[in-house]
Amino acid sequence: MARFIGRRLVYLLPVLLAVTLLTFLIASLLPGDLAVTILGDQATPEKVEALRAQMGLDLPLWERYLRWLWGVAHGDLGRSFRTGETVLAAVADRLPVSLELMVIAEGMGLLIAIPLAILCAVKSGGALDRFMTGLAFGKLSLPPYLVAILLIYLFAVELNLLPATGWVPFSEDPITNIRSFVLPGLTLAFAEWPVLMRVLRSDMIATLQEDYIAMAKAKGLKPARILLVHALKPSSLTLVTVTGINIGRLIGGTLIIETIFALPGIGRLLVGAIYARDFIILQGVVLFVAVGFVIVNFIVDMLYAVLDPRIRHGRA
Amino acid sequence: MSIFRLRTLGCVLAAMALAGGPAHAQKQGGTLTVGLELDIPGFDPLKVGVYDTSQNMAAALMLETLVRLDDNGKAAPSLAVSWSHSDDFKTWTFKLRPGVKFHDGTPFNAAAVKWNFDRQKDPKNNCRCAFYISFINSVDAPDDLTLVYNLRDPSVNLPTILTIQSSNNVVQSPAAIQAKGDDYNRNPVGTGPYVIKSWTAGDRMVLERNPNYWNKDKVYLDSIVLRPLPDSQSRFASLKSGETDLVWADEFEADNIQRAKTDSSLQVLSYAGSGAAVNVFNTKVAPLDDVRVRQALVMALDRKKYSQALTNGLSRPARNPYGDGSWVQCKDDGALPEDPKKAAELIKEYGKPVSFKMLFTATPRGRANGQILQQFWKNIGVNMEIEQVDQATIPARAFQRKFDVTPWRIVDFPDPDVQMFANFYSKSPLNLANFTDPALDKALEGARLTPDEAKRTEFYCEASRIINKDATWFWTFQNTYYAMAKAKVKGVPKLYGGVIDVSHAWLE
Amino acid sequence: MAALEAGIDSIEVASVARRRRRIGPLFVVAAAWIVLIVSAAILAGVLPLPSPTDIDMLGKRAPPSAEHWLGNDGLGRDVLSRLIYGARFSLTVGLLAPVIGVVIGGFLGMMAGYFRGRLETFIVGGMDVLLAFPPLVLALAVTAYLGQSVANLTLVIGVLGIPAFTRVARAVTLSLSEREFVTAARALGATHSRILLRELLPNVALPLLAFFLLGVAVTIVVEGALSFLGLGVPPPTPSWGSMIGEGRESLDIAPQLAFLPAGFMFATVLAFNIVGDTLRALTDPRPGAL
Repeated sequence: MARFIGRRLVYLLPVLLAVTLLTFLIASLLPGDLAVTILGDQATPEKVEALRAQMGLDLPLWERYLRWLWGVAHGDLGRSFRTGETVLAAVADRLPVSLELMVIAEGMGLLIAIPLAILCAVKSGGALDRFMTGLAFGKLSLPPYLVAILLIYLFAVELNLLPATGWVPFSEDPITNIRSFVLPGLTLAFAEWPVLMRVLRSDMIATLQEDYIAMAKAKGLKPARILLVHALKPSSLTLVTVTGINIGRLIGGTLIIETIFALPGIGRLLVGAIYARDFIILQGVVLFVAVGFVIVNFIVDMLYAVLDPRIRHGRA
Repeated sequence: MSIFRLRTLGCVLAAMALAGGPAHAQKQGGTLTVGLELDIPGFDPLKVGVYDTSQNMAAALMLETLVRLDDNGKAAPSLAVSWSHSDDFKTWTFKLRPGVKFHDGTPFNAAAVKWNFDRQKDPKNNCRCAFYISFINSVDAPDDLTLVYNLRDPSVNLPTILTIQSSNNVVQSPAAIQAKGDDYNRNPVGTGPYVIKSWTAGDRMVLERNPNYWNKDKVYLDSIVLRPLPDSQSRFASLKSGETDLVWADEFEADNIQRAKTDSSLQVLSYAGSGAAVNVFNTKVAPLDDVRVRQALVMALDRKKYSQALTNGLSRPARNPYGDGSWVQCKDDGALPEDPKKAAELIKEYGKPVSFKMLFTATPRGRANGQILQQFWKNIGVNMEIEQVDQATIPARAFQRKFDVTPWRIVDFPDPDVQMFANFYSKSPLNLANFTDPALDKALEGARLTPDEAKRTEFYCEASRIINKDATWFWTFQNTYYAMAKAKVKGVPKLYGGVIDVSHAWLE
Repeated sequence: MAALEAGIDSIEVASVARRRRRIGPLFVVAAAWIVLIVSAAILAGVLPLPSPTDIDMLGKRAPPSAEHWLGNDGLGRDVLSRLIYGARFSLTVGLLAPVIGVVIGGFLGMMAGYFRGRLETFIVGGMDVLLAFPPLVLALAVTAYLGQSVANLTLVIGVLGIPAFTRVARAVTLSLSEREFVTAARALGATHSRILLRELLPNVALPLLAFFLLGVAVTIVVEGALSFLGLGVPPPTPSWGSMIGEGRESLDIAPQLAFLPAGFMFATVLAFNIVGDTLRALTDPRPGAL
């Protein structure tokens, strides 16, 4: 077990390092002189030179990378030259919003997927099952921004039931806060539930064929109890890991949804930084997202291995 | 009751009615939520340079200027109570209001104003705002309440120029700036009627009433919340749903403005300002270095159709840099006729193929403008390629002259001198078109040497004729500034400079 | 990474039941739509359509008429024409970008699956690094800084697709490498390149083709997302994504401006998904894929 973790860690570190290098390169090699952008109309050649020296922009690339990395290791991801706030502060302000969206979306996805999966697993191969398969397949062809438009049209424009925008912090007004997440959460949930449902369904079909289920049926236990207590729990393994991975994957994927629904999350921070050429924020946040993704995957892989001994030893 | 008493009572009642002020009495209290277009990076001029409209609006609540504009567009006292000038208009003396304190308790005085000015002008500080005070050589503070401006060039209307809530004009607390350093940017300290209570980037700024404000009788709201909502649909939706009480709008949201006009629970505030939305030709770059090409490009436009396509006809076509909202009204402004046939002929006369790039903001508004202009110019045989950049890049590219054609704006301002001189004087660093015309220089110089409005109008109209003939800049639509609000919002003055000043507003 | 494959290869999951049905009526309809839309895109120039970029300034959001069969959009341009020219743009990027992914990803995947060892670890690690980045952010950054053009867009989306193709090629190569014909070829003394090109490539090509079609679907969606935000197709060229983004402004007055291009995009993406997935089910040599 320890050797397995050790092996994976050895693999993880170079990946993380490569991620930092790639992030730095992307942000640094994009055209546009940072000093000129900052100085704007004050950009005389002398001032540009002076600012470049002051910001360390005239150092060779590798040295700038190492300096930046050193800062990152000490928790200093830099400061936006536009607003003066540190990258960490900017992320800390906005991460909760994105996290809340991701959790609500995944939660809604599960709410839709679990009952459907149980139904389809029980009546496997039946009309409902095939219909759901087709529906899931169709849903995969409908990207979130199309779903968003549809939902906005239905609920906000026509029925006037739910707001298309208007986020308030949870601490200020919990009800409006949750309300403002319904449409965006639903949009993302629509994209999530096919995968969740299929995964749970497959596992449940396999579990339902096990002997102990037949035993439970023979013992005369109520079908609901069999399903929920005896079948659902052991089948949830893959579902849990997939849910975990999806939440991690969503970190950078909420961009369009946040823009459409005007939610002040990480995605919007990134879009804003790109538009404003705020290299430092862009660099810091992309690093944050990428590293977060790698670490979440690593943790999920670990959990999966711990729970499933087949993975730990020998791989195809 | 005797007749005498009845008459007296009647007189007293009548007098009370007359003196009682406007029909709506100002109600105290309440929170006003405002939807702005852009998020605000901060207020320190050294960090943010020049304020945009959203920053102006926020600044209007916390930071004050020496002078403000009254309902007739004339200079009225604010932090300064009176002013006088030398005969040559190069020296102006202001008497400041006594007993005013900054939010941090330090006193507002001439030294504080001078400190702000010196800090912005100091070349070591590299303030992007320094250019706009380059016409002021120095500011002296001979005593606590006396301020002297020593100008490089004569300015007949300096007080009105100081009214807009720009980073140069608002007075911020020197003590706070020195104490907070880098953190000051997000924690501004001024003399204004409201103070920042909390500020979450990208989400909202909450301001509450300043109990020690020098004019607190005229302040009614308990608190104001500013929310950046860049998407126009979201902004309007937030107004309708009541999440905001007032939102910034512009004529491109013509559909929403139309809806607000027909909705009895909403009101539309509009102000026909001076100036216009303009575009600049880089006359040093072929094919724009040929006046025939430039004139053709201008004549190819049909502004009425343009307005119809862009804003359902709300946009008001512009013929000169001043517009209907300016005191400069010209009988003959030399505007080129809208004549696509003639334009096509000029292009043919030029002989060579005409092709260039034009900058636009990466917004729906920018794209729409771009595609419409592309269409007009395609009709006369010209190929224009759209180059989308973000709003912040346009000034940078403009100042470095890295463009063929760029959009710009002549903002509503009480005096045309500042912008006309900056944009069109041949030696000005903001002479974006890179064009020199001695006759134009003479007209601009003449306009600043006399306080006589009639004579100045003559000079400015002459300038307009020259610019229109040279076709170095062209104007599309006059500035119409909009705000949409709930019907209960009162006390918002004219949107001078496009700034929505809610500092003295109240809710019915 | 078993867990990753379980989570991300959602197409595989959804198609488990599909495998029983092969070339069904759905496949035919999907293929027909693809042929139809591709032909329309190719023939756009010769069809009797008004120009997609000509603005009728006084005809904003005009209803359908003899001249404009589907009416006008928010700037007075013909909707039908823009839908078809939009198909041309979306399909061009949609078909070209995955080529980059297939060629480079396929090559890298085969190398990894065949040679194993350090090379495999390196390639798989590299792909993991690329996968860690939020793809939309990368695409946005590149187009915002390097400029919007068909070339930039195709390149960025193409590069972002490389990891997926690498994974498929590697998995297929891995399973094929154990088969008898490869062992036989090696016993006969064939060189690596001969085995790779003559034995493995033809067998890897078919599953790659199937995934290529799936990649087309994904590319159309990603390009649509970028154009929706205004950072994809350079104006005034239409793309389904940009039409949807522009149509969003008029949702309550003229919802068809957003829903028509959305419908076209959905139909096309679905068609490519169906065709690609059916092909994949038919050609995947992996025993019991999921």
